[in-house]
Amino acid sequence: MKLIYEKSVKGRVGYSLAKDNFGEIRLEECIPSYALSKEKKALPEVSEVDVVRHFTALAKMNYGIDTGFYPLGSCTMKYNPKINERLASLDRFVYAHPLSDERNVQGSLEIMYDLEQLLKEITGMDRLTLSPAAGAHGELTGTLIMRKYFEDLGRPRHKMIIPDSAHGTNPASSAMAGFNIVEVKSNENGTVDIEDLRRLMDEDTAGMMLTNPNTAGIFEENVVEIARIIHEKGGLLYYDGANLNALLGIVRPGDAGFDIVHLNLHKTFSTPHGAGGPGVGAVGVKKHLEEFLPGPLVGKCSNNLLKKSVDHKGLEPTPEKRDSQKNESAEKEHDSQNSKYAFEYPTKSIGRVRAFYGNFSVLVKAYAWILSIGREQAREVAEMSIINANYVMARLKKYYRPAYDRFCMHECVLTGRDYKGYGIKTLDIAKRLMDYGFHPPTIYFPHFEPYAQETIMIEPTESESKETLDEFIEAMIKIAEEAKKNPGLLKDAPHATAVRRCNEAKAALEPILKYTK
Amino acid sequence: MRYIPNTEEQKKEMLEAIGVGAFEDIIKSIPEKVRVKGELNIPPALSESELFEKIFGTSKKNIDFLSMKPLIGGGAYRHYVPEVVKTVLSYPEFYTAYTPYQPELSQGTLQTMFEVQTHLARLTGMDVVIPSMYDGASAAAETVLMAMRLTHKNKVVISSLVHPHYIETIRTYTEPHGLEIVEVAFENMLYSSAIHAPFQWITDFTELEKAIDDKTAAVIIQSPNFFGGIEDIERISQIAHTKGTMLIQVVVESMSLGILKSPGKLGADIVAGESQSFGMDLNFGGPYNGYIATKQSFIRQLPGRIAGETVDRDGKRAFVMTMRAREQDIRREKATSNICSNHALNLFAIDAYLSLLGANGLYEVASLNARASHYLMKQLVKTGKFEGYAYPFFNEFILKTSMDIESLSDKLVQNGFIPPLRVNKFMPALERHLLFTVTEVLSKQDLDRVVEIAAGER
Repeated sequence: MKLIYEKSVKGRVGYSLAKDNFGEIRLEECIPSYALSKEKKALPEVSEVDVVRHFTALAKMNYGIDTGFYPLGSCTMKYNPKINERLASLDRFVYAHPLSDERNVQGSLEIMYDLEQLLKEITGMDRLTLSPAAGAHGELTGTLIMRKYFEDLGRPRHKMIIPDSAHGTNPASSAMAGFNIVEVKSNENGTVDIEDLRRLMDEDTAGMMLTNPNTAGIFEENVVEIARIIHEKGGLLYYDGANLNALLGIVRPGDAGFDIVHLNLHKTFSTPHGAGGPGVGAVGVKKHLEEFLPGPLVGKCSNNLLKKSVDHKGLEPTPEKRDSQKNESAEKEHDSQNSKYAFEYPTKSIGRVRAFYGNFSVLVKAYAWILSIGREQAREVAEMSIINANYVMARLKKYYRPAYDRFCMHECVLTGRDYKGYGIKTLDIAKRLMDYGFHPPTIYFPHFEPYAQETIMIEPTESESKETLDEFIEAMIKIAEEAKKNPGLLKDAPHATAVRRCNEAKAALEPILKYTK
Repeated sequence: MRYIPNTEEQKKEMLEAIGVGAFEDIIKSIPEKVRVKGELNIPPALSESELFEKIFGTSKKNIDFLSMKPLIGGGAYRHYVPEVVKTVLSYPEFYTAYTPYQPELSQGTLQTMFEVQTHLARLTGMDVVIPSMYDGASAAAETVLMAMRLTHKNKVVISSLVHPHYIETIRTYTEPHGLEIVEVAFENMLYSSAIHAPFQWITDFTELEKAIDDKTAAVIIQSPNFFGGIEDIERISQIAHTKGTMLIQVVVESMSLGILKSPGKLGADIVAGESQSFGMDLNFGGPYNGYIATKQSFIRQLPGRIAGETVDRDGKRAFVMTMRAREQDIRREKATSNICSNHALNLFAIDAYLSLLGANGLYEVASLNARASHYLMKQLVKTGKFEGYAYPFFNEFILKTSMDIESLSDKLVQNGFIPPLRVNKFMPALERHLLFTVTEVLSKQDLDRVVEIAAGER
């Protein structure tokens, strides 16, 4: 398909502007010559209808949950309710300026405050920040909190334990937070090797990041013992909430010994993935870590919970050199306001992790989802996601040997390793699924020797009906037959997509990263 | 439950196929001790209509922002967003898709990434663009880490006129890595008697030059700066490069790129930008979209995702995510960043917005912003109620006033304007200073009304 630049015709217009009544002001008088560009920037010139058709055509080349089954393991591609989109686009939310007076944004603040209360109950944590923009951003926030906690105790720690089954973001985030990574092995059951952990945990280790259920879709049944091992040495246990969907209403991380959690609101809480984001990586902590959270948080003015540790002055905290200059009038101004909800700043905060307060429109959608699910059905979400995954595994395990032959939680890890003999890789199986109208599952992850190789990680979520799963299962079985009888069909797949198998090696060897004509 | 399609009957059939009598049999490995007893203490489920009522009601506790004209910016700008942008963002093939891991089913996303990379490369005058980071602040922080990796040095010199949230984010991200951060004053009114900058509200060159030493990895300048001031990037890049230091330019108001010389042409090595002005609503601060642009030679140290052109097996042009060996899912702790999800959906907004406006439209909107804001400044100073400053700015400017600011703000709100930013929210010493922002959503009539209101106040 043509690029928008290839549709450009000089002089074509796709915009309209209000009448320019500032003719008497010359641009050259406003902008100094050292900065004023002599030429216009070479953007395409297309009409409004060109743009609409361009994106409609691009949309046809994309696949979303609304297109069909999207069983991407570890990604929780559940249905994104339409009403939530509508609610997030209410005018008074959409046009709210982040720096306007708190009196004018009480509705937005109330949503943030209420959402935090709901997430506290769901996770069993004491306080949450809604600032982080994604799961990995939450991980960075959480690991920085761990770092700061030990510094505050006067005993900095330098290592972080991470299972070999963890998402790549765990070690990458810990490294960004300045930790050295210590890998703990998985055992033959697909869970953390407790003896290995016991050997590794010491008093220079800040703690451990644990995904539960883990990336093999298995509940870490020794979680209580793991928490004991970490806590005995003064460490902190971090919960990676990527897979919380399996535990909603069944287990609260806060009750299972975790000190910090991050939640992916774009997974468990149904907000759309937006072709790669935006999400929200809310981070919750237990009481002893509250004052390290990034600011600002939303508090009720009458709420004394953080009074001691939080700056209530409504001023942005500034570097020390300006600290002494805090002026009285700004304080008085704030005190005279009669706001119900207000921003507050933890005193030992790790600092901001972004500008402003969080991905507000995403927060509205997650809030709406929780209110729609309600107390009656929270557990039903987890149950159905687990039943769906086990159903797929039960019916497919004859054809695709599971990494671990045991019940799974919300996702199952199968493998394509029995087809190696036919010259077929898991990648070929995935590409062939596209011809049957499905988005492929996650492939080659998790990967760790010797159990998880050529993996196919399937996460159906609670959104899918048995009929959809049956169709998917039938397709997978057919592909298994094809692999044996007609492997070329798989190797040449996909056949029915907008483009066929893409040459990724060429893209990497001869990078073309922009249009140059 | 409307979001869970399986019936009780189907549930039974499935449990049977799994080979268990009850759901409990599947989750036996979860110890009793850690389980929730009973139900979560959250409110009972709402129907769709109840849900709408509730949240619509809550939204009404905000003022009616849409019918008000903003005089506030400070890193978040209300520009007019053409309806086409909203239409494009509503396509479910875009917003309900995941990261384009499977290119054969993701050409829409990948081509859009590639187009935005092209747009932003042309606007910034750079070779390579990472089109989506969380926001400008986190993008800026990532570029500082990038400069540290590239130079193996651990000090940066940053202008105090970089947005305060950005400075704080940079501090947070770099704290574990032992970075020394030297902030350079913008004008010496606050800290000493001499003024070395050519204008007030512009970074002090002399101080900047003094602060750079051979340990310095990068100089970080925002232009237009926090007060809208247009920095002399060419001169600053000469200072930085003479001292063997990289220059990172932060661009928070990317609309300015419609009329300003490209950072790349002026000598910036890396641009850390925020593209909210290109088709994104204010949304109380997010989601916006950060980007990073740089030169070819620094490509291996870039964080984040990038699309590249290739061919499919029939030789047809196709796009894929590329240079993946930098990323966390492959390199784990050795990755250039932990970033995984970004703000990809906003790329569709940027692509649609910049395509609609095109070469001429972007120039005209940016020009209108600049000229309208200069008009307002002149008119406000004429009232005699404000002290103006002669400094080059784009669409934001700072004024000092002895008026009762509280009362002026109230009056503006009553007349349908969101008041300008009180600078003391960030810099307490500047307690009588207001930061006005003017975009194309304010007409000349609106601005005249603002002047009239100000003139009538004490």
